[in-house]
Amino acid sequence: MDAQTQVDVSKLNEADKKELSQILANETQKATIQQTVHSLSDVCWKKCITGKITSGRLDQAEETCAQNCVERWMDSNLAVLKHLEALRG
Amino acid sequence: MSFFGSGSSSTPDSSKEVKDAIVKQLQSETAMNNARILINKVNEHCFAKCVPTPGSSLSANEQTCLTDCMEKYIAFWNEVSRTHHHRMGLESKKMSL
Repeated sequence: MDAQTQVDVSKLNEADKKELSQILANETQKATIQQTVHSLSDVCWKKCITGKITSGRLDQAEETCAQNCVERWMDSNLAVLKHLEALRG
Repeated sequence: MSFFGSGSSSTPDSSKEVKDAIVKQLQSETAMNNARILINKVNEHCFAKCVPTPGSSLSANEQTCLTDCMEKYIAFWNEVSRTHHHRMGLESKKMSL
């Protein structure tokens, strides 16, 4: 790890502060999406990779399964939200 | 370890330097965190797949399985990411209609 230098936040001007909070919001959103991809990979790996590992590449069936798994997960997500909406009336 | 530190040796002075230092630190911590989660997941899944009954050492077969599994998991992750990204694009287009 590099030696850490303290950064004095009070040196930031208003324009840079604004830009920083925008960058921070973007990075937060990216991180949230990456978390979703991690958890989806976890769930879908269990469903799609059931046999022995015989190669480092994805075969056609595994690739299709990954795609279907993500798509149906998103469908389920939306279906749950939709039903929740209906329950709230 | 300080959170708002920069990797450079000189102390950032101007507003721009401070901003750049924070952004750099933020991006490196995000990348680190991402890699850490991925490595943990690879370890978890590939250990389960490749070493069902741990012996006194890793066999050659287990080692080959682990490297294949690691490459497969990363390819799988990328496919999941691609599909997710594509679907999110479609959904947000639907929302904006």
